Amino acid sequence: MAEIELSHVDKVYEGAEAPAVRDLCLTIADGEFMVLVGPSGCGKTTALRMVAGLEDITEGELRIGDQVVNDMPPQARNISFVFQNYALFPHMTVYDNMAFGLKLAKVDKAARDKRVRDAARMLGLEEHLNRKPRALSGGQRQRVAMGRAIVVEPQAYLMDEPLSNLDAKLRVSMRTELARLQRDLNVTTIYVTHDQTEAMTMGDRIAVIRKGKLQQVGPPTELFDRPANLFVAGFIGSPSMNLVESRLRSEGDSLYADIGGQPLLIDPRTLSERPALRGHADAGKPLIVGIRPQDFNVSDGDAGRRGCQLKAKVELVESLGTETNVHFCVDAPPVVTEEVLELAAELGTDEAARVEKRAQAGRNEFIARVDPKTRVRTGDTITLSVDTAQLHFFDPGTGEVAC
Amino acid sequence: MTSIAARTGRARGSRTPPKGTSSRSSTMIYVTTGTVLGFLFLVPLAWAVLRSFMQPSDITAAPSASAFSHLTVANYSELITGSIHILRYVGNSLIVAVGTALLTALLATLAGYGLGRARFRFRGSNVVFALILVTLMVPFQAILTPLFLELSFLHLLDSLLGLILFYSTFNLPFGVFVMRNSFMALPSELEEAAYCAGAKTLTTLRKVVLPLVMPGVATTMLYAFLFAWTEFLGALTFITNINTLTLPVALLNVETGTFGQVNYGFLIAGAVIAMVPCAVLYVTLQRFYVSGISAGGIKG
Repeated sequence: MAEIELSHVDKVYEGAEAPAVRDLCLTIADGEFMVLVGPSGCGKTTALRMVAGLEDITEGELRIGDQVVNDMPPQARNISFVFQNYALFPHMTVYDNMAFGLKLAKVDKAARDKRVRDAARMLGLEEHLNRKPRALSGGQRQRVAMGRAIVVEPQAYLMDEPLSNLDAKLRVSMRTELARLQRDLNVTTIYVTHDQTEAMTMGDRIAVIRKGKLQQVGPPTELFDRPANLFVAGFIGSPSMNLVESRLRSEGDSLYADIGGQPLLIDPRTLSERPALRGHADAGKPLIVGIRPQDFNVSDGDAGRRGCQLKAKVELVESLGTETNVHFCVDAPPVVTEEVLELAAELGTDEAARVEKRAQAGRNEFIARVDPKTRVRTGDTITLSVDTAQLHFFDPGTGEVAC
Repeated sequence: MTSIAARTGRARGSRTPPKGTSSRSSTMIYVTTGTVLGFLFLVPLAWAVLRSFMQPSDITAAPSASAFSHLTVANYSELITGSIHILRYVGNSLIVAVGTALLTALLATLAGYGLGRARFRFRGSNVVFALILVTLMVPFQAILTPLFLELSFLHLLDSLLGLILFYSTFNLPFGVFVMRNSFMALPSELEEAAYCAGAKTLTTLRKVVLPLVMPGVATTMLYAFLFAWTEFLGALTFITNINTLTLPVALLNVETGTFGQVNYGFLIAGAVIAMVPCAVLYVTLQRFYVSGISAGGIKG
């Protein structure tokens, strides 16, 4: 077990214009479960492969434990890599697959056998030890890949989207299993995924990467509650954060954000934490306001205070059993920045096109995630209360949080 | 887990075609065509094998039923124990063919590994590969004289080693082609997994990669073996010592009467002996051979 430290690591592929990884600084503590997350092609896998030694580091320094390992081949790094396609040796039995690393490390036969069998028991693979990988199901293959990683007792596990080839249900159960396994073994782990749910549920800390650059790193709740920029705000959380262009307006000591003609009172505590907002209001500069779907609730009538409510005409109701998503439109131009388009593109090219079309029409669709017990129907006009202490503010120019 | 098993089970069930009349008639056509083709290919072989058991006088005479009543193994026993010493030539040919197969497989595997894996790419590696393929287009008959001079310079005339080197050289382009494509078909993660587990390059090749490209290796070896076993012109040119002749050249000598007058009994029996290793190899390696050819062909 060891700490892993990347300092100012760059990776430029031969012939590529932009670097795949730019100035990456990240320290993964001993025993920590670090998730690297980002859209496809953002450089997260490249970063992981550099830690493994499967890619050269162009610039910067990588330490595992207290050793600089930049020029150390993967064989000498004492790490285990779990591949997206598992990369099980098809001509070897499950037992031989798991014993492979131990044989090379010249662990004697009795100890080898014990470690393989222990790992097999832990993963529920005992009956399958004599089978070849092709005779196993996807979930079992995934477990063999994990077993192969565990038995060598490495300094760190490096996992590259290990669950993405499983079907949805199995993925959820393997997610829990994997996270528990890591907690029990307490081995430093770097886990790459593009799935923000996996990141949120598994990681001790999450590092969000975009276009090779680290955006923010922190515990899941911190990324959720205080996203450092528009990209993180949009990426973390499902359904994603509602974004709207707005201007701030002073009324005496209070500050209001204008959401499509309806004022939202900015919480005094937010204001004391982010004094710059007052400057924005005075200058009359536009600002992007973000509201998480979870921070809405259906309120009865006009009981609430002024400035904490939005009136909305319901466009669509999605009932998921545990929650209900209410779609409604806000009469304000939607936010179309590079970040938003990139996040939409991640969901498919249709989605990106849809975002642009909505932008042209000046329609901004919001989603509120409300109590499933509330009876809301399409076409209703409802009043939604907003937890104004949870508003997010971003600078439209830079996409950084405005504070 | 049970639902998955049930699902795959169903999928497998649905893949077998329904037992209808149309499938039965297509099976009939398939079997009939196969039988006819098989028959066409087997007749000459059976003819040769039968003839090899006849007395020389019966072979040259007009076909008659009586010829089958006095079948004999005299041709074989005379070839093996008589003055012709055919086993010596069988031995020479085996040494040359096996040596060629092993040397070609070894070199083609290493070259294919180097050219087929992205990890080992170097500037111009594609040019190197193209050059290797270009040599496929040079028939060795066209450069027989320079080859003779070269082997003479190396003192490798009249030597089985010289023949092995010569055959290997001309089998390598195809071998490298097959092996490169076999290696390219493997996902690189397999090697990377081995590296991360602590395996060095050669260990990875031996323990992880090689077992997975065995169809390619088998194809390469079979090709080289058959080429060396049946090659005639080079052997005739480079070997003059009667003790180092290979089987095809020795059989020619039987025919042209170096050992006396033309004896068709000997000739056919010799041909049958020459066929045996080829047939055995084809039958045993057929599975590898077919998958190796297709792997090499489609991916290329």
